[in-house]
Amino acid sequence: MNAAIRLPVEQAYASELQALARGDDKQKPAGWSLSPKAVLTYLLGGKASDGTLITPKYVGRRRLMETAVATLATDRALLLLGVPGTAKSWVSEHLAAAIMGDSTMIVQCTAGTDENQIRYGWNYARLLAKGPSQEALVPTPLYRAMQDGKLCRLEELTRMGSDVQDTLITVLSEKMMPIPELNTSIYAQRGFNIIATANNRDKGVNELSSALKRRFNVVVLPLPEDMAQEVSIVSKRVGEMAGGLDLPVPKNVAEEIARVLTIFRELRSGSTADGKVTLKTPSGSLSTAEAIATMVGGLSQAAWFDGGKLGAEGLAASLVGAIVKDPVQDKIVLEEYLETVLKKRPDYAGYYAALNAAI
Amino acid sequence: MKHSDIAYFGIRHHGPGSADSLVQALQELRPVAVLIEGPSDASALLPLLARPEMQPPVALLCYPQDDPASTSFWPFAEFSPEYQAVLWAVGNKAALRFIDLPSSARLPAEAMDTAQNTDAAEASEVTEAGDDEDPHRRDPIGTLAHAAGYEDGESWWSDIVEQNPEPGPIFAAIADAMTTLREGEGSIAKFEARREAHMRLEIAAARKEFDGPIAVVCGAWHVPALQATHVQKTDQALLKGIARRKSTMTWAPWTGPRLASGLGYGAGVVAPGWCKHLWRTRGRHDGATLWLAMIAAVLREKGHLISTASLIEAERLARALAAIRERPKPGFEELRDASVAALFNGEALLWALVGAELLLGADVGEIPPDTPLAPLIEDLQRNQKAARLKPEALERELSVDLRSESGLFRSTLLHRLNVLGVHWGKLTDAGRSRGTFRERWTLAWEPEYAVRLVENLVYGPTIEKAANGRLTQMVGAAATLDTLAALVQGAITADLSEASSAGLVALEARAAHSSECLEILASVPPLADIIRYGEARKTETNRLSGLMERLIVEAAIALPYAVRDLDQQAAAALVGALRKADEAIRLVEPGDDVLSGWRDGLAAVLDGPRSTALLAGCAAHLLYEAGQLSAEAAAGLLGRRLSPGTPVSDAAGFFEGFFSTAGQRLIYDEGLRGAVDSWLKSLDEEAFVAHLPLLRRVFSNLDSMERRRLIEAVLGRAARLPAGLTPAPDGGEAWRRHLERLGPLLMGGGDG
Repeated sequence: MNAAIRLPVEQAYASELQALARGDDKQKPAGWSLSPKAVLTYLLGGKASDGTLITPKYVGRRRLMETAVATLATDRALLLLGVPGTAKSWVSEHLAAAIMGDSTMIVQCTAGTDENQIRYGWNYARLLAKGPSQEALVPTPLYRAMQDGKLCRLEELTRMGSDVQDTLITVLSEKMMPIPELNTSIYAQRGFNIIATANNRDKGVNELSSALKRRFNVVVLPLPEDMAQEVSIVSKRVGEMAGGLDLPVPKNVAEEIARVLTIFRELRSGSTADGKVTLKTPSGSLSTAEAIATMVGGLSQAAWFDGGKLGAEGLAASLVGAIVKDPVQDKIVLEEYLETVLKKRPDYAGYYAALNAAI
Repeated sequence: MKHSDIAYFGIRHHGPGSADSLVQALQELRPVAVLIEGPSDASALLPLLARPEMQPPVALLCYPQDDPASTSFWPFAEFSPEYQAVLWAVGNKAALRFIDLPSSARLPAEAMDTAQNTDAAEASEVTEAGDDEDPHRRDPIGTLAHAAGYEDGESWWSDIVEQNPEPGPIFAAIADAMTTLREGEGSIAKFEARREAHMRLEIAAARKEFDGPIAVVCGAWHVPALQATHVQKTDQALLKGIARRKSTMTWAPWTGPRLASGLGYGAGVVAPGWCKHLWRTRGRHDGATLWLAMIAAVLREKGHLISTASLIEAERLARALAAIRERPKPGFEELRDASVAALFNGEALLWALVGAELLLGADVGEIPPDTPLAPLIEDLQRNQKAARLKPEALERELSVDLRSESGLFRSTLLHRLNVLGVHWGKLTDAGRSRGTFRERWTLAWEPEYAVRLVENLVYGPTIEKAANGRLTQMVGAAATLDTLAALVQGAITADLSEASSAGLVALEARAAHSSECLEILASVPPLADIIRYGEARKTETNRLSGLMERLIVEAAIALPYAVRDLDQQAAAALVGALRKADEAIRLVEPGDDVLSGWRDGLAAVLDGPRSTALLAGCAAHLLYEAGQLSAEAAAGLLGRRLSPGTPVSDAAGFFEGFFSTAGQRLIYDEGLRGAVDSWLKSLDEEAFVAHLPLLRRVFSNLDSMERRRLIEAVLGRAARLPAGLTPAPDGGEAWRRHLERLGPLLMGGGDG
């Protein structure tokens, strides 16, 4: 029995992948374990040829996934962009699992990531004992992916410094990596490619240089398009998180989720749900993930301080925190929203009062 | 009886793919006569289409002589199969004929409700395209393409052609598919049945007349019905009893965007620009590359850096996508998705930006100068008759009374012509006209106005529609709130409901995004004018009031931030706008909560520690006038703001802001006068001298009489208002209004 909290997806969904592989007689690009068509079925759900049910991994526009798969089929690198909580890493992991059967070649990029973690590092004991040699070289996931013709995943690409990012340019355009210390290079084997993810809303990240950007095809993953879909995602996650934190879930949580999401979606999209009033949008992203955090904050407040009652008063502080990221601009946006929209909605009277008090 | 072969070519209206296949098929068939779906009484106009001066897009216009508002259009683009068929027929000396119901039989109102289902004929108004319109009847080939998973019918057509290189069988296959599609249909509308009967009869007549092959070019939907054998007598019976009105026909220049189905032309195409591109690159293999290069050119024009290498990548991705979607070559969707991923950095919004330019195109057609008379000129002549106004080159004065129907009609006509750039009438008292029901015009007709009217034909066939169209376009181009507000005011004055509602929508959207306080304030007065004086023009103002209240709330929220730390020039501009907006707000009398919101905003300006003194003074004055600040509070405030501790320049600014339009108040308002008096006395000589110009400026607003009374008041000799009476805050304004009413009465008051 495996006690791991979470298995890599190629193991968790092994039966689906096997079923797809069995019935897959279409042409496969070099190094791929499934044909592009089968990869799409794996991502978007459907049925394998032997009738095995394939669960959808990504709920959203088919066109985006088609572009992503087609990009990887052309040996071009793929960059998945989106605000936090739009399933970028999730899609990247499943793509790698379906295409290569291996999603574990991964580099988590951070501000502290240096070139040694991208290209190759050294085993210093050996380096000192024997000088630079192949044995003293420590390969990185990228190095190994090139060597074995696999997919390498780079998470949060824009978090690492621009100088480190740019080491990828040669790898992407010439498919090789020089190792000057050994006066040699490694050449990527067929099947090698990169899937990177990055956040396109955060401030203070290292913008990709245009030279590097040009080497990626970019797919932007949008926030959920319809309200019902988003409500179900939030309800599910809030339920899970509340369970994990041992928070009781009050009965009216569904109504409050719908109200909070309405506020989020209206501010995010810049118009009211009925499309009648156009609004200014605040500087923050107001993603689904933030809606979840707001709700969990509200639940915690209700459980510990408000005697288990979830209401506008408890949620107002987290809501203001999520909406007002810039103290001047966003405050005007929120005030205007309160005065022109919420004030006129009787069922939001509590939110109108509580938010007004909180700002 | 002569024997003739009849070939039916079921085409897609404005489909470059079917145009290409059609030309090839015609070359092969070499028919002696070409019959085209179109109003049969316009056949004589057809050869004009092949004239070199005729540059598509152009449209055939048919309208009843007495009612140009119900004009029908038949637009032709370079890539329209019908246009290519005409070119072929003229070039190859084949007989050419329209075979559909004559336009005279399809114009009356009874046909209107059914006309919406016609494919080539589309009534000009969006509203006339009914909700029950059947997309698969209008564009059955598009329906087939959708069923096959294509978004773009043209890509589907070209893929089909790719797989079937012989042109002949394609049309046979289309006819087959249509037969299947129509089998499921019940009986068709009477109007449709009549059209098809008419076409059948015309084909039968042509069969008798011509010896040799005949080509019938019609919408794919009609092919099965035209091929089927019907008894001629039944067809003739169907056509009996159609009401007819004499109709006039002519050609008019058209524009690329108006071919687009999104803009109200029912049988239009989604993307005329894409169709044109397909037509121009037909038979070439680098169409996709050229399309990507065009995208790149537009992007570069907008300042994006697009390298050639990216273009190569975009094309590779498009090919890979086509392979995944199992299509023979990249079509519209593949190219779009690939350019979004490889050229736009995944930003689909950018595509929308480029799309409008690329997909709609900016083509404007041309017509030969000797084309028959344009409907706009006819419409003007009719309107002139109705308004009893003659175009005269010599200047002539005209005064109209907006309360009478004829006066309103005249004024509306002149305003609309002005929108079209035909300045036949010039408003002589434009600035002061708003409060009155009288307008004074100077009329003078210039010959060039006729030419202008013809140019305006692209916007619509009647003066009303053209003015609507043109103003709507201006609304689309307007960038700031105040221009938009002025345009809406113009639209309402000229009674152009379409343009004014488009303007209101734009205004609402712009109002939401604007945080520029000055801009919001400047947009308030024109809107207030419309609301306040709207009754004179019988406009509906509910929607406007909502927008107005919203603007007031927004301005009130933005104001306290906008007044911080301004230099002299900016402060002066803002004060002007603020006063005008406040006056306008008092005029429209908004709801209490809105009004109090506005006053809260003013109070925040007054209390804000960083507010520019001039604006704080102005806000204090406005609050005082509105009765929100009692005399004692105002005196206290003045004393504090003007006290020795305040920097002299700030005190002076506050003073100017408060009194620049309120000098008269000092005569009557003892409390205020006392506060000012003591401030003045507290100044040392140097500061006093420094302030003299300012004081002069403030008091120069008073005439000599008022100044004398002020001096008397200061010296304690003034006649006071009886105790308990205070001057009405808007006394000056009310007096002006009374004068305006009284003036005409005193002058004899008749109709001018």
